[in-house]
Amino acid sequence: MKNLKLTTIKVKNQARTLVKVKDITIGEGFTVIAGPCSIESEEQAIETAIRVKEAGADILRGGAFKPRTSPYAFQGLGIKGLQILEKAGKESGLPVVTEVLDPRDVSWVCEYVDILQVGTRNMQNFSLLKEVGKAGKPVLLKRGMFSTLSEWLSCAEYVLAEGNPNVILCERGIRTFESYTRNTLDLAIVPSIKEVSHLPVIVDPSHGTGRLSLVERMCLASIAAGADGVMVEVHRNPAEALCDGDQSLSPPMFMSMMKKVRKLQECMVEINALDRESSK
Amino acid sequence: MELKEIRKKIDLLDSRILRILNYRMELALMAKKLKTSIEDKDREKEILERIRLNSTGLINAEFVEKVYTEIIKESKGLQQRDHRLIGFQGEHGAYGEVALRAWNSEWVSVPCAGYSAVFEGIKKGLFDYGIVAVENTLGGVVGEVNELLVNTDLYVAGAVELPVYLCLMTLPGTDHRDIRSVYSSSQALVQCHNFLERNHLEALQYYDSAGAAKMLAEDTPKSSAVIASKLAAEIYDLEIIKEDIDDFERNMTRFLILSAKANVAEGDKCSILFSTAHRAGTLFSVLEIFAKHDINLTRIGSIQSGAGNYTFFLDFIGSNKDEKVISSMEQIKKVTSSLRFMGCYKEKRVD
Repeated sequence: MKNLKLTTIKVKNQARTLVKVKDITIGEGFTVIAGPCSIESEEQAIETAIRVKEAGADILRGGAFKPRTSPYAFQGLGIKGLQILEKAGKESGLPVVTEVLDPRDVSWVCEYVDILQVGTRNMQNFSLLKEVGKAGKPVLLKRGMFSTLSEWLSCAEYVLAEGNPNVILCERGIRTFESYTRNTLDLAIVPSIKEVSHLPVIVDPSHGTGRLSLVERMCLASIAAGADGVMVEVHRNPAEALCDGDQSLSPPMFMSMMKKVRKLQECMVEINALDRESSK
Repeated sequence: MELKEIRKKIDLLDSRILRILNYRMELALMAKKLKTSIEDKDREKEILERIRLNSTGLINAEFVEKVYTEIIKESKGLQQRDHRLIGFQGEHGAYGEVALRAWNSEWVSVPCAGYSAVFEGIKKGLFDYGIVAVENTLGGVVGEVNELLVNTDLYVAGAVELPVYLCLMTLPGTDHRDIRSVYSSSQALVQCHNFLERNHLEALQYYDSAGAAKMLAEDTPKSSAVIASKLAAEIYDLEIIKEDIDDFERNMTRFLILSAKANVAEGDKCSILFSTAHRAGTLFSVLEIFAKHDINLTRIGSIQSGAGNYTFFLDFIGSNKDEKVISSMEQIKKVTSSLRFMGCYKEKRVD
């Protein structure tokens, strides 16, 4: 961590970074980002947006440029997808986040969305990191699936070094020998980040587990681990999803999860108060 | 050329053929305004003769005759119906046409090369009405139109306030990453300056925004986009990349609908033109009359008419049937050197 100048905590009780997006502040309370893996149609995006908003989501997600393992898989709607996402955001009143894959697209994507996401496969794409660093929009930086904490922070450092302090880290699971889950969700990284960095950190239990049945539990575990939020995939009809249908929640499942999320959040306020007392 | 490319070219050409046909029909409707009867056998013969001589290549005389007999039949059919023709400045897809559609979507809009052609056309009876931009929240007054208004005897028949949404558009299938140059009117380019800078695009001035859209569809320059209205994208079959790209929140343009005859339909807004003697307090005495009659003014503008003399435009809320409006007009007549009541009309605000 020697080369980390901007992302790490330098002094005791250093203020934590708060990322403001419209009326939402990431780093304060617990922020829930929800929405489909990919934007498939205007109807799908708007319906999903309205339903996640009703359930209490804070930010809408949706992919327009998709980094797929196979070149033959659905690659996203591109600019058309961004137009739809922007509209869905306006109709639901939610800020929007989408992944940007190509440094040439950064300025364009900024025209439509509130937060730029750098995906796990691009975590170490340094030319992309420099470009999003210059863009002036908050950046959601996913952890590379083979990356250590210090490598991850080093990538965040690239963005901060360009003058953009608004980085949100996102744990999305790493590759291990375990094959039951799609990835191994490394929740220990959440309090670890809190020890060394002032940046907010959220968790993506959808990619982290790849299993619908595990999303809710890991989402609650993230709250207990001290995360600043979660990002979950919600599709109005997961069976029809063009991408990640196996790990997408349906709107009713999301709604029931949100009730538990808000409940646990309340409990955590009390638990955190106990923490503060014992440290006195 | 690959099949896909050939088909793309055919699509572009088809939409162009339709636009040209539409233009021909517009001209036929204008011609009707100047002739007494629709049927003109000599003229039809002349047209068929001319196209027969012009048929080239794969187009034989028999085929063109068939096509043209249909075209002439259709244009005579259109001439029989009572169409209202409205002139607007610019090419199809211009904001004047967008405003006009919001006012009355059944009227036939006819493009004019300039504002003076709109005024001329109404005077000559080619158009039943004309629509002209008078002011924009960002660009201020349209000087050329004010100049024409001072010197005209046309009447105001309506007004439209239109939010201007500037859109970036390209030929269908263009990758946004390939866009280098953006054509539009100088006003539109200025209003999108920050957007163009952010995306590293070169601004290239064109005479008119809708004209730029037409040029893009017809000349298909590479790596290019245009800034124009959503309507222009529909008309020229262009693909919108981003809507509402101007740097300013509120971009509104106000249009006046002009006619050779005074508006007789009900109205709640009036426009007058007047000049006052070059003396202290003369303008004040006019405004004082409005104040005393409790009439709310919505716009006042001035234009120099000869050395030291000014003509004033004034819009106010009220109807020419209101007692207080009638009385104030009588009093204003006495304190001005000239007064022209331009019309009482309705104003439409588009959201």
